[in-house]
Amino acid sequence: MVFQIVKILKVLLLPMHNLFLDYTKTTSKLSDINWLLVLLVFLLGLSGVAMIFAATGGDWLGGAKQHFYRLIFATFFMLLIALIDLRFWYTISYPFYIVILMLLISVDIMGVTVNGSKRWIDLQIANYELARVQPSELMKLGIVLTLARFYHDLPRWRVSSVYGLLGAFVIIFVPMFLIMRQPDLGTALLVAATGASIVFLAGITWRLLASLSVFSFISITLFVVFGLKPYQRERILTFLDPSHDPSGASYHIIQSKIALGSGGFNGKGFMNGTQRQLEYVPENRTDFIFTVIGEEFGLVGSLLTIAIYIAIIGICLWLSAQCKKVYSKLLILGFIVTFSLYVFINLAMVMGLAPVVGVPLPLISYGGTVLLTVMTGFGLILSAYIHRETKLPSSKYKN
Amino acid sequence: MVQSEIHNQISINRRAAILGTLGACLFGVLSSRLYYLQILKSEDYRALSDDNRFNFNITIPSRGRILDRHGKYLAINSQNYSLVLIPERVKDIESTLFKLKQTLSLSNSNITRIKKNINRQASFVPVLIKENLDWATFSKFNFQTPDFPGVIPQVGLGRFYPNNGLFSHTIGYVGTPSTKDIEYDKDPLLKQPSFKIGKTGIEDSADKLLRGRPGKLKVEVNASGRTVREFPVDTDAPVNGKDIWLTLDSELQKKAAELFGDDSGGIVVMDVLTGELRAMLSMPTFNGNLFVSGITQSEMDKLNNDERRPQYNKVLAGGYPPASTFKMVVMLAALEGGFIDPKDKVICSQKVNLGNRTFHCWKRGGHGPVNMREALKGSCDVYFYELSQKVGIEKIASMGRRLGFGEKFSIGLKGLKSGIMPDPKWKKLKLGNSWKVGDTINASIGQGFVLSTPLQMAVMVARIANGKDSLTPNLIIEPNLKKFQSLGINPSHIAFVQKCMLAVCEEPGGTAYKKYGLELGQLQIAGKTGTGQVRGISEQERRSKLRRDEDLPWKLRDHNVFVGYAPFKSPRFAVSCLVEHGGTGSKRAIEISRSILKTALERDGISNSKNIKSTITTNA
Repeated sequence: MVFQIVKILKVLLLPMHNLFLDYTKTTSKLSDINWLLVLLVFLLGLSGVAMIFAATGGDWLGGAKQHFYRLIFATFFMLLIALIDLRFWYTISYPFYIVILMLLISVDIMGVTVNGSKRWIDLQIANYELARVQPSELMKLGIVLTLARFYHDLPRWRVSSVYGLLGAFVIIFVPMFLIMRQPDLGTALLVAATGASIVFLAGITWRLLASLSVFSFISITLFVVFGLKPYQRERILTFLDPSHDPSGASYHIIQSKIALGSGGFNGKGFMNGTQRQLEYVPENRTDFIFTVIGEEFGLVGSLLTIAIYIAIIGICLWLSAQCKKVYSKLLILGFIVTFSLYVFINLAMVMGLAPVVGVPLPLISYGGTVLLTVMTGFGLILSAYIHRETKLPSSKYKN
Repeated sequence: MVQSEIHNQISINRRAAILGTLGACLFGVLSSRLYYLQILKSEDYRALSDDNRFNFNITIPSRGRILDRHGKYLAINSQNYSLVLIPERVKDIESTLFKLKQTLSLSNSNITRIKKNINRQASFVPVLIKENLDWATFSKFNFQTPDFPGVIPQVGLGRFYPNNGLFSHTIGYVGTPSTKDIEYDKDPLLKQPSFKIGKTGIEDSADKLLRGRPGKLKVEVNASGRTVREFPVDTDAPVNGKDIWLTLDSELQKKAAELFGDDSGGIVVMDVLTGELRAMLSMPTFNGNLFVSGITQSEMDKLNNDERRPQYNKVLAGGYPPASTFKMVVMLAALEGGFIDPKDKVICSQKVNLGNRTFHCWKRGGHGPVNMREALKGSCDVYFYELSQKVGIEKIASMGRRLGFGEKFSIGLKGLKSGIMPDPKWKKLKLGNSWKVGDTINASIGQGFVLSTPLQMAVMVARIANGKDSLTPNLIIEPNLKKFQSLGINPSHIAFVQKCMLAVCEEPGGTAYKKYGLELGQLQIAGKTGTGQVRGISEQERRSKLRRDEDLPWKLRDHNVFVGYAPFKSPRFAVSCLVEHGGTGSKRAIEISRSILKTALERDGISNSKNIKSTITTNA
């Protein structure tokens, strides 16, 4: 018993050990980091700085500066996380999840209401507002960590068993339900989709997958018809017929398509986008920042941006293939699925292929929480890769 | 164990590959969508983007000026000092408005209007606080701008009428277009804030000419409609309104107003050769500037409650009995028809019985035996009662029309009245009765149904003075002189009537006698007086012999009429003057007419010369 507690404490003190005592290991770990991934991520972050600068009409203080500093900070944070031993992450997976669940519940009770939905908690130290934390954002990390551990601990034959299914269902559904209550449909669906992807990756049988898909399709349809708030249904309706509300919600889509389309092959040039300059595209430094890229750099710039995203995703897929442990693999794949979903949904929305659901373009859009979440995710991906040889305390495979 | 782990690894890798492929497909879809938007549909979206971007603003042309015959300004665009407020730059609108209210002493209704405008417009559109500020207030505000953030002093163009209301009836005034105006007139200028259109007078009738054409200015606007950049294009510059030159002489007009003083009435001075109106004044007048800046209720009440009706254009829209000035018409009709020898005498014993009615002459005791000349000179009514019965109303009415009665002249203004030149057909139509002899008798002295405007009386006397042309009045200077139709009256008859009119003014016993009353050497004046009855005179009053017009309330006193022309030998200017309720005897009208003719002749530089030629100032 005492031995157990000491063991856990030892693991929990791993970061201290890793970072401050184990210099030689740290340098070898640093050389093991996939620097190409770091470079590409940093590059996208920098292009975000440039685009926010353009979107605010050349106002360095209009967000670009803040994004830049956040990027620097988040990059160091990412590297820090990467160096911390995987056993630490493994150990805190469940507690982390439970803490976030509790935060979500407290948001429900005492959160700050912004734009009609409660999503934020103010984190203050000596009255200095550090950050407004969105627990729902943290849950994107939590769901991956928890499910990775859940499936790591679960013998493969039980993945499709009642226990395996029920466990996964509870882990996914409880936070999803809480987030939906805020209401933040976009994040809730993102969390659910990430969870579902991990369930799929963990090896659920195809037959079960098919029946679950049918089930969820039916329940989603029912939910859209009966369970949505009017504004949420409105968004889906305007997406289906953009002319039905030209200056309301679909105004976003129309103006954003004009911005992209008028960019043409090589764009209007940096800082020359008229749609952007004249503020026709709302939210263009956050969710609609891709319109600035498309308008000012045209198809060339847009495709280049997408190419970098593809490269990042590809590298991460390759990294996951290098790992042998289920935990590491699912951790990497889970995060990259979340990341890809962000990118897909945002781009599809900006191009008028999906309804407007406040999902930012990761790394480029202005916004601290998302940047930090995504960079933490990449830190964990790197950590999983660096520590691919580390033995996890309780891999118990039974047949 | 190990095998299972490997199996697990392979399974995850395989499924990751499946997801990866799915992702690749999605990226493929996104890329082709980009290709569709940015290459295939690029032109369409570029056009839409320009649509978003560019807008056309209207630039306002400056309104044409109105000038008198010598180029003096009657209506100009003056600098208009105003204060505007830009809501988005004001931190606390309530307190700013409160401070402004105190400093400018704005009324509550003004504050309500300002608030309404603030709420109705985009927050960067200036809202007018007050216009027509005096220079002192304006410069004070220029200093105080730091105290009033968002309140901006502006200099714009406003309409100003410099002559103290002398021309208000003729020129009219401008005002903010009504909703009806905007509905009827689709000119985009009308929708511009603080744009004014003509409401009355020349400003109204020549509004299109004065207004000009709006220019277009291509501007780049942002999503909230704010102008970001301007692209001026020369071809789209506004076309300023045309100046309008009037035939009026502002000095003469001023003199006329001085002569009238506080009296009510109207005067017209007309060029006998060209038909140009040298002066045209309805008294009392009002200040048109009041209406431009928005008249206050108390000022409006003051105008409306004045029994002399300042806003009413008596010269063009008034209907007055021409009274004895109509006698020339009867004379000319009689001479033309050969109904009487001018030397034949009629005995005037002050009254004539006709059936059960008695018609009186104005002169107590009558004129005794008078011939035509004496009858006009002394304005004997009985002579004309007798004469008119011989001539008949048809001939009289026809001659009246030839001399301008009942005619609506086109002088470029709206609201002219035609008056009434009655005949049996008219009476049948309007009143349903047949014509009575008494009607003819009343008409013979310009009373009864006969109604005319001072302008018509001026035309009548001008046509008699000219003798050849059927003159029509002219208010706006045209590049070419008008050609008139022939009057078609026997010159010897005209000459006879002219001599009779000379006798009225220059011979002892004439109703307007004053030897060389023009006070311009030997120059003589010819004319005719008239007293327009406002009410019936009772038998009792006549008998009491105590009735004096001066004792009556102003409203019941007789109208004073005089028509005339000068110089007699080579007629140059005709005048018609009406003094409302001026009392019997036409003294006021005669005095005013003499002075105004004198001034007109002096101003034309022909006071001592018989060499008269047209002195037309053309549009320079």
